[in-house]
Amino acid sequence: MRTHFPIVAASAILLLFVGANGVGAQGYRLRLDTRAQGVAYRGVTLDSIPVADTVMPPGSGPISPDGFAVLCRPGAPYCSFFRPGPTRRGGPLTTTADLTVWGLGLPGLSVHATARLGVDLGTADVWPGSDPALQLLEGYAEYAVARATARLGRQIVASRLGTTGFDGAGVVLRDARRGVEIQGYLGWGLARGVALPVTSPALNPLDDFQPQRRQLVAGAGAGWTSGPADVRVDYQREVDPRSDYFVSERVGLGATVRPLTGFQLAGGADYDLAAGWWGSAEASLAYARRNVRAMVGARRYRPHFDLWTIWGAFSPVPYHAVQASLTVAPVPRLELRGRWERYEFDEAEAATPLFSAKRDGWRWELGGTYHFRAAWTLDAGYREEFGPGAGAAAIGGTLTYVPSRRLTLTLDGSAATRPLEFRFNEAEVRTFGIDAQLEPTARVRLGVSASRYQERHRRPDAAAFDWNQLRVSARVVVLFGSPADLRGLPPSIRLLPGGRSER
Amino acid sequence: MMVRFSTLLLVVVLGAVPAVDLRAQQPSAPDRFDHLKHARLFPTCTVCHQGAEDPEQAMWPDSAACATCHDGTKRPLVSWQPPQEERPSNLKFAHELVPLMTRETPQGTQSLACQDCHIAPGGPWMAVRRATPEGCLECHGPGVARHLAAPDSLCGTCHVPLVRAASLKPADIAAFPAPPSHRQPGFVSREGHGALAKGTAEPVAQSCTICHARDFCVTCHVDAPEQTAIQALGADPRAQAIAASLAAPASHRESRFLSRHGAALRADARGCATCHTRESCLACHAASQRVSGALYPGGPGRGRGAQPVRRPPESHRESFAARHAQMAATTPASCAGCHVRTECLECHRPSAAAGPGYHPAGFLSRHPAAAYARETSCNDCHNVGSFCATCHASAGLVSSGTLRSGYHDASRFFVAGHGRAARQSLESCVGCHVERDCLTCHASFGGRRFNPHGPGFDANRMRRKNPEMCTACHGTAIPSR
Repeated sequence: MRTHFPIVAASAILLLFVGANGVGAQGYRLRLDTRAQGVAYRGVTLDSIPVADTVMPPGSGPISPDGFAVLCRPGAPYCSFFRPGPTRRGGPLTTTADLTVWGLGLPGLSVHATARLGVDLGTADVWPGSDPALQLLEGYAEYAVARATARLGRQIVASRLGTTGFDGAGVVLRDARRGVEIQGYLGWGLARGVALPVTSPALNPLDDFQPQRRQLVAGAGAGWTSGPADVRVDYQREVDPRSDYFVSERVGLGATVRPLTGFQLAGGADYDLAAGWWGSAEASLAYARRNVRAMVGARRYRPHFDLWTIWGAFSPVPYHAVQASLTVAPVPRLELRGRWERYEFDEAEAATPLFSAKRDGWRWELGGTYHFRAAWTLDAGYREEFGPGAGAAAIGGTLTYVPSRRLTLTLDGSAATRPLEFRFNEAEVRTFGIDAQLEPTARVRLGVSASRYQERHRRPDAAAFDWNQLRVSARVVVLFGSPADLRGLPPSIRLLPGGRSER
Repeated sequence: MMVRFSTLLLVVVLGAVPAVDLRAQQPSAPDRFDHLKHARLFPTCTVCHQGAEDPEQAMWPDSAACATCHDGTKRPLVSWQPPQEERPSNLKFAHELVPLMTRETPQGTQSLACQDCHIAPGGPWMAVRRATPEGCLECHGPGVARHLAAPDSLCGTCHVPLVRAASLKPADIAAFPAPPSHRQPGFVSREGHGALAKGTAEPVAQSCTICHARDFCVTCHVDAPEQTAIQALGADPRAQAIAASLAAPASHRESRFLSRHGAALRADARGCATCHTRESCLACHAASQRVSGALYPGGPGRGRGAQPVRRPPESHRESFAARHAQMAATTPASCAGCHVRTECLECHRPSAAAGPGYHPAGFLSRHPAAAYARETSCNDCHNVGSFCATCHASAGLVSSGTLRSGYHDASRFFVAGHGRAARQSLESCVGCHVERDCLTCHASFGGRRFNPHGPGFDANRMRRKNPEMCTACHGTAIPSR
């Protein structure tokens, strides 16, 4: 029954929609978003060679006869190395349908569904995210009145604990006058970051441990909103219904205070009740006026792992960071920005006598945007980030031309180096791209873009290889609606830049 | 005879110029007929303009009379023709009333003559000028220096309301000069033009009615049906000839206006309802239509209202996408004021075919740096299994079950010293490695018994919450601390 719940929910929604055609005031909105991409990437292929076949050039380690550096484990008869892998070409094509139906005879009752159909037109399943072909992101019936909103079906709840998907029921009670809101939900959970249950084979490409049953999700939240401050607390637990053991149990708290005009103090933290440690947290003080925006803050990040994996027992350590950003518009049309962050991981307490990974890192960025001749915008920036595992230094820019409200043309280019810490590899990447977005009518949007990537892996052996490719993508968005929808709204709304027609 | 001629002359001038133009014309403006050149020819105005004195007579002379002299022999031919239509005007003035108008002179009370209005004081005979409103005000508004500064009560003395000035065309109305009051700071506010319109005993000030009709007010006023002053004006579509643009009040330009306008609406919706329809709220408040309930819905008889441009608040500028989570989690209702769920799902449940969006173009090339140190939480939008591992597996960047040296070749002893890197970037490790890789060494049950537990590990708590996790390494012999 649980396995078929999404199908049942989708069918119910469809039946409601079809059956609703007989209701006089019924209205609907359907947004079809079709995208296609042609991409390629190139990885590596594991290879090995007998120790006896390796050669040892002067001043170098062992290499294969064709020039690949090899690693030989003491006592092992073979040495291993990685050859350049084949070029993989993918052509993901997806269509996302977003449907809302209302006017079902009961004021406040509506039905929502967001589903995605995807295929890979290139090498099968090269590109992530296109399996399975049909995915129901959300599909629920909603009843909303001034003091409450109730939802039944597949839905996603967003809180500081993440975006949690589940098949079940949720309710929000509110007192708008006092700014108080209380939320509760219960259902069978979905995996993190995807619209699939944790039991889906698509989530287990490496044949790793995987739960056999979907977890039960229950959560509650309460918030208070006012002019000078907002506060919210969330609690969420996930339980394995097979054993009644916890999959996760966390609580989060967030607050925002607006003490003076232009200033905002925001902060929050979450605590992992199952692991017994603090998770991620952040605090920032921001100032925003028309010509100056600034922010200083501190944050901490610790990954969260469900208890059906063993990763939480490996004691991931958090990092602590301080950060600042400033944006100023010294003259009209020109805006300059800068951002800086430095972070350091907590002591890992791991004995690593022969190799020591970096423990701290930093990232900064400088850039500017200049609007000239009304329709032209030039944006350029330089960014560096170096830390444990990898680094990157990149310069890039875009030139945007908006000859009319319906057309946007963009040229972009960048150059970057991205060294790795654990592997000899300091790749150089250059990109050049063009993008066009056209909105011929308020209900249709078209987009097409192409980018040329030139990437060279710099190594002192034969494992250095070039990875050049042309990426192309296209997008078509079409909006359908009943007369009760957009056509009933004044032109002022329909024609708003960035308005409803783009949603 | 002199009176008749003066009257005739007055009619000629006034008839040739619409009333509204009187205010703008200069005394020296040339007339099409050069009166001064004919000064010795005509002793009175009414020689030509008999209608100025007698409504039964024609106001204009017969053009054939010109040919008496301008026959092509004695004088060149002329092509003057009398106007076929009455000049448009919103004046109450009628020339036959002129004899009834008097003025005080040293010689006593005298009736007005043509030259009293159409010849500058002390000017030569037939140096005709157009009559000026200030001339009228000499008698009708003593002490008023300028026409447009006349008090409201005086307007109706000379002018009829716009809705009754049927001869005026939209172009005439568009050319109306704006009074100085209209240029005062704050004139567009309730305390400005609103107070002026309602500042008299009449339902609406006379001065408003001369130039405006209800249709003009409806250009902006959404609450026109509820405003008695507007309803007191007649309906006349010609009134829209005067262009009006709706400028946002100063309060709307304050940096925190977006975050506070809701409270202002709840405190006093009347001010908002002047310019905003219910639909103008929906331009932004897509998902919370309830907030617009205090406003009037758009419809016939109401102004189109303000055309709000949907723009993000200052806080939403660069890098906001990377740090919006805290605000979105704390005040989801605020987000829902402008955003619909589809926008969230665009990133949080991304399409496989999605191009640059949250991540800029070319991000794939430099994603290791962002991923190793988790610049943001990747798994809010990407599932490690379906996204990271799937792609890494296609690229050969995985190790499933059997550890082989070779990939992390920057250090010969990486495997022996990977502990810190693993605890710092465990989410990156699991993009390529599975649990079995680690259990080869980090297991007390079938492994090499290397203890993976580090700082903060609470064995008892984890065992209490989910002992099944412990059995992966310890089997059924889960130790207790």
